[in-house]
Amino acid sequence: MVRFGSILMKDGINKSLLEFLVCPLSKQPLRLCEKTNSLISDTIGVSYPIVDGIPRLVPADGKIIEADDALNSDGSVDLPGKRTDDQSGSS
Amino acid sequence: MRISIALCRGGVRSYCTDARDGFQSSKLKIFDRHLKRKQRDRAAWLMKPKDSLLDTVAENLLDRLEDCKKTFPTALCMGGSLEAIRRLLHGRGGIEKLIMMDTSWDMVKLCKDAEQKIPNDNIETSYIIGDEEYLPVKENSVDLVISCLGLHWTNDLPGAMIQCRLSLKPDGLFLAAILGGETLKELRIACTIAQMEREGGISPRLSPLAQVRDAGNLLTRAGFTLPGVDVDEYTVRYSSALELIEHLRAMGETSALLQRSKVLKKDTALATAGIYESMFAAEDGTIPATFQIIYMTGWREHYSQQRPSRRGSASVSFQDLQKQFGSDGSC
Repeated sequence: MVRFGSILMKDGINKSLLEFLVCPLSKQPLRLCEKTNSLISDTIGVSYPIVDGIPRLVPADGKIIEADDALNSDGSVDLPGKRTDDQSGSS
Repeated sequence: MRISIALCRGGVRSYCTDARDGFQSSKLKIFDRHLKRKQRDRAAWLMKPKDSLLDTVAENLLDRLEDCKKTFPTALCMGGSLEAIRRLLHGRGGIEKLIMMDTSWDMVKLCKDAEQKIPNDNIETSYIIGDEEYLPVKENSVDLVISCLGLHWTNDLPGAMIQCRLSLKPDGLFLAAILGGETLKELRIACTIAQMEREGGISPRLSPLAQVRDAGNLLTRAGFTLPGVDVDEYTVRYSSALELIEHLRAMGETSALLQRSKVLKKDTALATAGIYESMFAAEDGTIPATFQIIYMTGWREHYSQQRPSRRGSASVSFQDLQKQFGSDGSC
């Protein structure tokens, strides 16, 4: 437990710093994904890695998130999306 | 007089952007930002712990914080000589939270390691990798933005400055030092002559830099209030022209033009060094290199700041001005 905590301290990002950061491209707030240790800009679907506790917020370092990942990370969003798809298919 | 003003305006427009409304970013790419990033990585490896030129500039820039009564609890420091700024801060400006930003990973890492050796007292320092052209900082979030010798490498300088202004809180301060047009004029001359002589033509070897007259326009254009610009010229003496190039490399200030010629013939390089030394060397054999630094200061607007009255709002005619003051003076 203690070891896990220390790793988080080393690799994790200071929460108060997160308040200052936005996505460099869309200027929208970023979401911290602790599983992949990255900052995610939901509006444009790009993730920026955090290496050694330093977030890399250069557009060239960002990765476009695969559609599957996006659906997994916020499952609540995909339901209304599917519904609209169905509606458009039936009409 | 009129002609010179028209020329200034023309110059600024062609330098900044082709947009008409003034806020659209320029599509013109002058610098290779990717290459600059690599050069700054290299600079981080080559850098000496103390560089007198960078330290002087950083010191001069930070000195301005002492002129303000205001304190700046949160500050963003970006680009250029990050390490010197952090090391020389000495608690000035009442900074409590400092965010250091650079495009180069190695440069930021160097700063972070340096901070562990000599920590800043009572300052919470955090590090991010970011590009000045795509500033990843929230609007209205910081009190102070410092950029020491970094902004002259941005393709869209007005755009980068507008982003800085937006990230500032109202009444926040923007402090920047950039290299001015007189920088390395000796090297420019030597390069041109050597290329003419050896290759029969010239190609750009040094990047275009902002002129002093542009700096004020840039500040007003980016929407800063109470703009201030001043210039300092430093002459650094080197024992040879090659040492100058080494120093430029260690500062990460070597050319990063997008349309640069990628080969430099050894012949031309040596000729440049030879011409430099024969034209500019002092009696003791050292060669001077000029660095012109433009310091820019601007504030984000706030109701408490002084501003000119609206046009036509005067209640006393200028003709009666003397009478007004005359009567005051007599009593």
